[in-house]
Amino acid sequence: MSDDISGGTGFDDGPGVEEELLEEELRQAASLLDPVPPALLQTAVDAFALRDLEARVAALTFDSLVDAIPVRGAAAAPRMLTFSAGGTTLDVELTEEGLIGQVLPPSPARIEILTGPHPATTTTADDMGRFTAAVTPSGPFALRLHTTDEVVMTEWLRA
Amino acid sequence: MTTGTVPSTAYHDVPYTRGGTVERSEVGALVRSAVDGDAAAWKAIVEGLGPLVWSVVRAHRLSDADAHEVYQTVWFRFTQHLDRIREPEKAGSWLASTARHECLKVHRQARRLVLTDDPQMLDTVSEDGGPEQTLLETEDAAAQGERVRRLWQAFEELGERCRQLLRVLIASPPPSYQEVSAALDIAVGSIGPMRQRCLRRLRARLEARGTA
Repeated sequence: MSDDISGGTGFDDGPGVEEELLEEELRQAASLLDPVPPALLQTAVDAFALRDLEARVAALTFDSLVDAIPVRGAAAAPRMLTFSAGGTTLDVELTEEGLIGQVLPPSPARIEILTGPHPATTTTADDMGRFTAAVTPSGPFALRLHTTDEVVMTEWLRA
Repeated sequence: MTTGTVPSTAYHDVPYTRGGTVERSEVGALVRSAVDGDAAAWKAIVEGLGPLVWSVVRAHRLSDADAHEVYQTVWFRFTQHLDRIREPEKAGSWLASTARHECLKVHRQARRLVLTDDPQMLDTVSEDGGPEQTLLETEDAAAQGERVRRLWQAFEELGERCRQLLRVLIASPPPSYQEVSAALDIAVGSIGPMRQRCLRRLRARLEARGTA
Protein backbone atom coordinates (compact mmCIF):
# COMPACT_ATOMS: atom_id res chain seq x y z
CA MET A 1 0.00 0.00 0.00
CA SER A 2 2.86 2.30 0.68
CA ASP A 3 4.29 1.80 -2.81
CA ASP A 4 2.00 4.41 -4.30
CA ILE A 5 3.94 7.59 -3.81
CA SER A 6 1.70 9.74 -6.00
CA GLY A 7 -0.52 10.29 -3.00
CA GLY A 8 -3.19 12.03 -5.05
CA THR A 9 -6.69 10.78 -5.68
CA GLY A 10 -8.03 13.77 -7.52
CA PHE A 11 -10.09 14.81 -4.52
CA ASP A 12 -9.65 18.21 -2.99
CA ASP A 13 -12.15 17.86 -0.23
CA GLY A 14 -10.90 14.89 1.70
CA PRO A 15 -8.17 12.37 2.10
CA GLY A 16 -7.51 9.55 -0.32
CA VAL A 17 -7.42 5.89 0.50
CA GLU A 18 -3.84 5.95 1.68
CA GLU A 19 -4.48 8.84 3.99
CA GLU A 20 -7.54 7.06 5.32
CA LEU A 21 -5.44 4.05 6.16
CA LEU A 22 -2.80 6.19 7.79
CA GLU A 23 -5.45 7.94 9.85
CA GLU A 24 -6.86 4.60 10.94
CA GLU A 25 -3.39 3.46 11.96
CA LEU A 26 -2.96 6.66 13.92
CA ARG A 27 -6.33 6.08 15.56
CA GLN A 28 -5.18 2.68 16.73
CA ALA A 29 -1.96 4.21 17.99
CA ALA A 30 -3.95 6.77 19.99
CA SER A 31 -6.13 4.04 21.49
CA LEU A 32 -2.99 2.21 22.53
CA LEU A 33 -0.76 5.09 23.60
CA ASP A 34 -3.14 7.78 24.79
CA PRO A 35 -6.52 6.31 25.74
CA VAL A 36 -8.98 7.85 28.20
CA PRO A 37 -7.48 6.90 31.58
CA PRO A 38 -9.73 4.17 33.09
CA ALA A 39 -10.21 6.06 36.35
CA LEU A 40 -11.50 9.07 34.42
CA LEU A 41 -13.86 6.93 32.42
CA GLN A 42 -15.25 5.55 35.67
CA THR A 43 -15.65 9.03 37.18
CA ALA A 44 -17.61 10.14 34.12
CA VAL A 45 -19.84 7.05 34.36
CA ASP A 46 -20.40 7.69 38.08
CA ALA A 47 -21.20 11.33 37.36
CA PHE A 48 -24.73 10.33 36.39
CA ALA A 49 -25.47 10.35 40.15
CA LEU A 50 -24.69 14.08 40.20
CA ARG A 51 -27.80 14.80 38.23
CA ASP A 52 -30.23 16.82 40.33
CA LEU A 53 -33.65 17.22 38.86
CA GLU A 54 -34.85 19.52 41.63
CA ALA A 55 -32.09 22.07 41.49
CA ARG A 56 -32.19 25.11 39.33
CA VAL A 57 -28.85 25.61 37.62
CA ALA A 58 -27.13 28.92 38.30
CA ALA A 59 -25.10 29.95 35.29
CA LEU A 60 -21.68 31.52 35.61
CA THR A 61 -22.14 35.20 34.79
CA PHE A 62 -18.79 36.57 35.93
CA ASP A 63 -15.39 34.92 36.18
CA SER A 64 -12.43 37.11 37.06
CA LEU A 65 -10.28 34.71 35.09
CA VAL A 66 -12.08 35.68 31.92
CA ASP A 67 -13.78 38.98 32.62
CA ALA A 68 -11.24 40.90 34.67
CA ILE A 69 -8.08 42.60 33.51
CA PRO A 70 -4.98 40.81 34.76
CA VAL A 71 -2.83 42.78 37.19
CA ARG A 72 0.87 42.12 37.01
CA GLY A 73 2.30 41.16 40.35
CA ALA A 74 -1.03 40.48 41.96
CA ALA A 75 -0.06 36.87 42.47
CA ALA A 76 -2.57 36.10 45.19
CA ALA A 77 -5.57 37.84 43.64
CA PRO A 78 -8.52 35.60 44.47
CA ARG A 79 -10.69 34.13 41.77
CA MET A 80 -14.06 35.88 41.85
CA LEU A 81 -17.11 34.17 40.48
CA THR A 82 -20.75 35.13 40.16
CA PHE A 83 -23.54 32.66 39.42
CA SER A 84 -27.14 33.58 38.68
CA ALA A 85 -30.38 31.67 38.53
CA GLY A 86 -33.51 33.74 38.17
CA GLY A 87 -33.51 36.21 41.04
CA THR A 88 -30.83 34.39 43.04
CA THR A 89 -27.21 35.43 42.79
CA LEU A 90 -24.24 33.74 44.34
CA ASP A 91 -20.92 35.55 44.71
CA VAL A 92 -17.95 33.34 45.42
CA GLU A 93 -14.31 34.10 46.10
CA LEU A 94 -11.65 31.40 46.03
CA THR A 95 -8.75 32.41 48.23
CA GLU A 96 -5.76 30.49 49.47
CA GLU A 97 -7.40 30.21 52.89
CA GLY A 98 -10.69 28.90 51.61
CA LEU A 99 -13.92 29.83 50.02
CA ILE A 100 -15.96 32.92 50.86
CA GLY A 101 -19.34 33.76 49.44
CA GLN A 102 -22.66 35.45 49.68
CA VAL A 103 -26.18 34.62 48.60
CA LEU A 104 -28.25 37.47 47.20
CA PRO A 105 -30.91 38.40 48.10
CA PRO A 106 -29.58 37.60 51.59
CA SER A 107 -30.99 34.38 52.94
CA PRO A 108 -29.89 31.68 55.34
CA ALA A 109 -29.06 28.49 53.50
CA ARG A 110 -27.30 25.19 53.69
CA ILE A 111 -24.56 24.99 51.12
CA GLU A 112 -22.93 21.87 49.80
CA ILE A 113 -19.52 22.06 48.17
CA LEU A 114 -19.36 19.29 45.62
CA THR A 115 -16.17 18.17 43.94
CA GLY A 116 -17.38 15.08 42.12
CA PRO A 117 -19.58 12.01 42.45
CA HIS A 118 -18.75 11.53 46.14
CA PRO A 119 -19.92 13.03 49.45
CA ALA A 120 -19.87 16.82 49.66
CA THR A 121 -18.63 19.20 52.36
CA THR A 122 -21.33 21.34 53.89
CA THR A 123 -21.41 24.86 55.25
CA THR A 124 -24.16 27.31 56.15
CA ALA A 125 -24.97 30.86 55.12
CA ASP A 126 -25.99 33.29 57.89
CA ASP A 127 -28.97 35.67 57.80
CA MET A 128 -26.97 38.01 55.59
CA GLY A 129 -26.39 35.15 53.18
CA ARG A 130 -22.67 35.06 53.93
CA PHE A 131 -20.77 31.82 54.10
CA THR A 132 -17.22 30.56 54.37
CA ALA A 133 -15.50 27.21 54.05
CA ALA A 134 -11.98 26.32 55.07
CA VAL A 135 -11.40 24.27 51.95
CA THR A 136 -10.45 25.70 48.60
CA PRO A 137 -11.62 23.40 45.88
CA SER A 138 -9.03 22.43 43.32
CA GLY A 139 -10.31 20.91 40.14
CA PRO A 140 -14.00 20.60 39.36
CA PHE A 141 -16.47 21.94 41.90
CA ALA A 142 -20.06 23.12 42.24
CA LEU A 143 -22.10 24.62 45.06
CA ARG A 144 -25.58 23.44 45.90
CA LEU A 145 -27.64 25.87 47.84
CA HIS A 146 -30.66 24.84 49.88
CA THR A 147 -32.76 27.82 50.99
CA THR A 148 -36.15 27.51 52.63
CA ASP A 149 -37.93 27.48 49.32
CA GLU A 150 -35.55 26.32 46.62
CA VAL A 151 -32.47 24.40 45.59
CA VAL A 152 -29.97 26.13 43.36
CA MET A 153 -26.87 24.50 41.98
CA THR A 154 -24.02 26.35 40.32
CA GLU A 155 -22.72 25.34 36.96
CA TRP A 156 -19.76 22.96 37.35
CA LEU A 157 -16.50 24.77 37.06
CA ARG A 158 -12.80 24.05 37.31
CA ALA A 159 -11.30 25.99 40.22
CA MET B 1 -15.43 14.16 -9.69
CA THR B 2 -13.46 11.73 -11.77
CA THR B 3 -11.12 9.13 -10.47
CA GLY B 4 -7.64 9.11 -11.84
CA THR B 5 -6.84 5.45 -11.48
CA VAL B 6 -8.91 2.36 -12.01
CA PRO B 7 -7.95 0.46 -8.84
CA SER B 8 -9.22 3.22 -6.61
CA THR B 9 -12.61 3.46 -8.28
CA ALA B 10 -14.13 0.84 -6.03
CA TYR B 11 -13.39 2.96 -3.01
CA HIS B 12 -14.83 6.07 -4.56
CA ASP B 13 -18.05 4.30 -5.44
CA VAL B 14 -18.71 3.91 -1.78
CA PRO B 15 -20.34 7.10 -0.58
CA TYR B 16 -17.92 8.64 1.82
CA THR B 17 -19.18 9.16 5.31
CA ARG B 18 -17.21 9.77 8.42
CA GLY B 19 -17.25 6.57 10.39
CA GLY B 20 -18.67 8.42 13.34
CA THR B 21 -21.85 9.59 11.71
CA VAL B 22 -23.33 6.11 11.63
CA GLU B 23 -22.68 5.26 15.25
CA ARG B 24 -23.49 8.79 16.28
CA SER B 25 -27.05 8.39 15.04
CA GLU B 26 -27.66 6.49 18.25
CA VAL B 27 -26.48 9.36 20.40
CA GLY B 28 -29.80 11.19 20.24
CA ALA B 29 -31.69 8.11 21.42
CA LEU B 30 -29.17 7.46 24.20
CA VAL B 31 -29.42 11.03 25.41
CA ARG B 32 -33.20 10.79 25.54
CA SER B 33 -32.95 7.56 27.54
CA ALA B 34 -30.45 9.14 29.93
CA VAL B 35 -32.81 12.07 30.43
CA ASP B 36 -35.39 9.49 31.47
CA GLY B 37 -32.97 8.19 34.08
CA ASP B 38 -31.38 5.27 32.22
CA ALA B 39 -27.91 4.88 33.74
CA ALA B 40 -26.89 2.31 31.12
CA ALA B 41 -27.61 4.84 28.38
CA TRP B 42 -25.47 7.38 30.20
CA LYS B 43 -22.64 4.87 30.41
CA ALA B 44 -22.95 4.22 26.68
CA ILE B 45 -22.73 7.96 26.02
CA VAL B 46 -19.62 8.23 28.17
CA GLU B 47 -18.03 5.29 26.40
CA GLY B 48 -18.98 6.55 22.96
CA LEU B 49 -18.11 10.22 23.36
CA GLY B 50 -15.50 10.12 26.15
CA PRO B 51 -12.69 9.49 23.69
CA LEU B 52 -13.76 12.58 21.73
CA VAL B 53 -13.67 14.72 24.88
CA TRP B 54 -10.28 13.26 25.75
CA SER B 55 -8.99 13.94 22.23
CA VAL B 56 -10.07 17.56 22.43
CA VAL B 57 -8.31 17.94 25.77
CA ARG B 58 -5.17 16.25 24.43
CA ALA B 59 -5.27 18.40 21.32
CA HIS B 60 -4.90 21.43 23.56
CA ARG B 61 -1.69 20.21 25.19
CA LEU B 62 -2.63 20.54 28.85
CA SER B 63 -0.65 19.05 31.70
CA ASP B 64 -1.97 15.67 32.79
CA ALA B 65 -3.51 17.15 35.95
CA ASP B 66 -5.29 19.88 34.00
CA ALA B 67 -6.40 17.40 31.34
CA HIS B 68 -7.98 15.19 34.00
CA GLU B 69 -9.77 18.13 35.61
CA VAL B 70 -11.12 19.46 32.35
CA TYR B 71 -12.33 16.02 31.29
CA GLN B 72 -14.25 15.64 34.54
CA THR B 73 -15.61 19.18 34.50
CA VAL B 74 -17.02 18.64 31.02
CA TRP B 75 -18.88 15.50 32.04
CA PHE B 76 -20.12 16.97 35.32
CA ARG B 77 -21.48 19.93 33.44
CA PHE B 78 -23.12 17.64 30.94
CA THR B 79 -25.18 16.13 33.78
CA GLN B 80 -26.63 19.62 34.26
CA HIS B 81 -27.08 20.26 30.58
CA LEU B 82 -28.77 16.94 29.90
CA ASP B 83 -32.25 18.02 30.89
CA ARG B 84 -32.09 21.21 28.90
CA ILE B 85 -30.59 19.79 25.75
CA ARG B 86 -32.51 20.82 22.67
CA GLU B 87 -30.79 18.74 20.04
CA PRO B 88 -29.82 15.45 21.70
CA GLU B 89 -28.10 14.17 18.56
CA LYS B 90 -25.65 17.07 18.82
CA ALA B 91 -24.45 16.08 22.28
CA GLY B 92 -21.01 15.32 20.83
CA SER B 93 -20.68 18.86 19.50
CA TRP B 94 -21.76 20.28 22.84
CA LEU B 95 -19.19 18.16 24.69
CA ALA B 96 -16.44 19.02 22.21
CA SER B 97 -17.18 22.72 22.38
CA THR B 98 -17.39 22.72 26.19
CA ALA B 99 -14.07 20.89 26.38
CA ARG B 100 -12.49 23.43 24.06
CA HIS B 101 -13.71 26.35 26.16
CA GLU B 102 -12.40 24.77 29.35
CA CYS B 103 -9.03 24.12 27.72
CA LEU B 104 -8.79 27.74 26.62
CA LYS B 105 -9.57 28.78 30.19
CA VAL B 106 -6.70 26.65 31.46
CA HIS B 107 -4.36 28.35 29.00
CA ARG B 108 -5.65 31.69 30.17
CA GLN B 109 -5.12 30.75 33.80
CA ALA B 110 -1.60 29.58 33.03
CA ARG B 111 -0.83 32.79 31.16
CA ARG B 112 -2.15 34.81 34.03
CA LEU B 113 0.02 32.95 36.49
CA VAL B 114 2.97 33.48 34.18
CA LEU B 115 2.12 37.18 34.23
CA THR B 116 2.46 37.06 37.96
CA ASP B 117 5.96 35.60 37.53
CA ASP B 118 5.38 32.21 39.02
CA PRO B 119 8.00 30.15 37.22
CA GLN B 120 6.56 26.84 38.34
CA MET B 121 3.48 27.39 36.27
CA LEU B 122 5.48 27.76 33.09
CA ASP B 123 5.78 24.02 32.95
CA THR B 124 2.57 22.82 31.41
CA VAL B 125 4.10 19.76 29.83
CA SER B 126 3.03 16.29 30.91
CA GLU B 127 4.93 14.93 33.88
CA ASP B 128 3.58 11.42 33.81
CA GLY B 129 5.33 8.48 32.27
CA GLY B 130 3.47 9.29 29.10
CA PRO B 131 2.67 7.31 26.01
CA GLU B 132 6.05 5.65 25.55
CA GLN B 133 5.93 4.04 28.94
CA THR B 134 2.46 2.66 28.37
CA LEU B 135 3.69 1.16 25.15
CA LEU B 136 6.64 -0.56 26.80
CA GLU B 137 4.24 -2.27 29.13
CA THR B 138 2.04 -3.57 26.36
CA GLU B 139 4.76 -4.20 23.84
CA ASP B 140 4.43 -7.79 22.75
CA ALA B 141 5.44 -7.54 19.15
CA ALA B 142 8.56 -5.43 19.18
CA ALA B 143 8.46 -4.56 15.50
CA GLN B 144 4.83 -3.54 15.61
CA GLY B 145 5.48 -1.51 18.73
CA GLU B 146 8.38 0.23 17.11
CA ARG B 147 6.28 1.18 14.11
CA VAL B 148 3.51 2.54 16.31
CA ARG B 149 6.04 4.49 18.34
CA ARG B 150 7.56 6.06 15.23
CA LEU B 151 4.17 6.91 13.84
CA TRP B 152 3.20 8.56 17.10
CA GLN B 153 6.46 10.45 17.29
CA ALA B 154 6.07 11.74 13.74
CA PHE B 155 2.52 12.78 14.61
CA GLU B 156 3.65 14.60 17.76
CA GLU B 157 6.23 16.50 15.74
CA LEU B 158 3.75 17.83 13.21
CA GLY B 159 2.98 21.53 13.22
CA GLU B 160 0.56 22.61 15.91
CA ARG B 161 -2.47 23.01 13.66
CA CYS B 162 -2.05 19.60 12.07
CA ARG B 163 -1.30 17.88 15.34
CA GLN B 164 -4.37 19.44 16.88
CA LEU B 165 -6.70 18.57 14.01
CA LEU B 166 -5.48 14.99 13.74
CA ARG B 167 -5.64 14.42 17.49
CA VAL B 168 -9.34 15.20 17.40
CA LEU B 169 -9.98 13.26 14.19
CA ILE B 170 -8.41 10.09 15.56
CA ALA B 171 -10.80 9.81 18.47
CA SER B 172 -12.41 6.39 18.50
CA PRO B 173 -15.11 6.12 17.24
CA PRO B 174 -14.24 8.88 14.74
CA PRO B 175 -16.00 12.19 15.31
CA SER B 176 -18.28 13.86 12.79
CA TYR B 177 -17.07 17.02 11.09
CA GLN B 178 -19.61 18.98 13.13
CA GLU B 179 -17.97 17.70 16.28
CA VAL B 180 -14.49 18.49 14.99
CA SER B 181 -15.70 21.94 14.08
CA ALA B 182 -17.04 22.44 17.62
CA ALA B 183 -13.84 21.04 19.13
CA LEU B 184 -11.48 23.37 17.32
CA ASP B 185 -13.67 26.27 16.23
CA ILE B 186 -12.92 25.77 12.55
CA ALA B 187 -15.39 25.77 9.67
CA VAL B 188 -16.75 22.37 8.69
CA GLY B 189 -15.80 23.08 5.07
CA SER B 190 -12.14 23.54 5.87
CA ILE B 191 -11.74 20.29 7.78
CA GLY B 192 -11.58 17.95 4.75
CA PRO B 193 -8.84 19.81 2.88
CA MET B 194 -6.85 20.40 6.09
CA ARG B 195 -7.19 16.78 7.04
CA GLN B 196 -5.86 15.68 3.68
CA ARG B 197 -2.92 18.07 3.84
CA CYS B 198 -2.00 17.03 7.36
CA LEU B 199 -2.19 13.31 6.64
CA ARG B 200 -0.07 13.76 3.52
CA ARG B 201 2.47 15.70 5.49
CA LEU B 202 2.58 12.98 8.09
CA ARG B 203 3.00 10.32 5.44
CA ALA B 204 5.77 12.30 3.75
CA ARG B 205 7.62 12.50 7.05
CA LEU B 206 7.30 8.81 7.65
CA GLU B 207 8.53 8.09 4.15
CA ALA B 208 11.46 10.42 4.59
CA ARG B 209 12.42 8.36 7.62
CA GLY B 210 11.88 5.10 5.79
CA THR B 211 9.11 4.07 8.14
CA ALA B 212 6.15 4.10 5.80
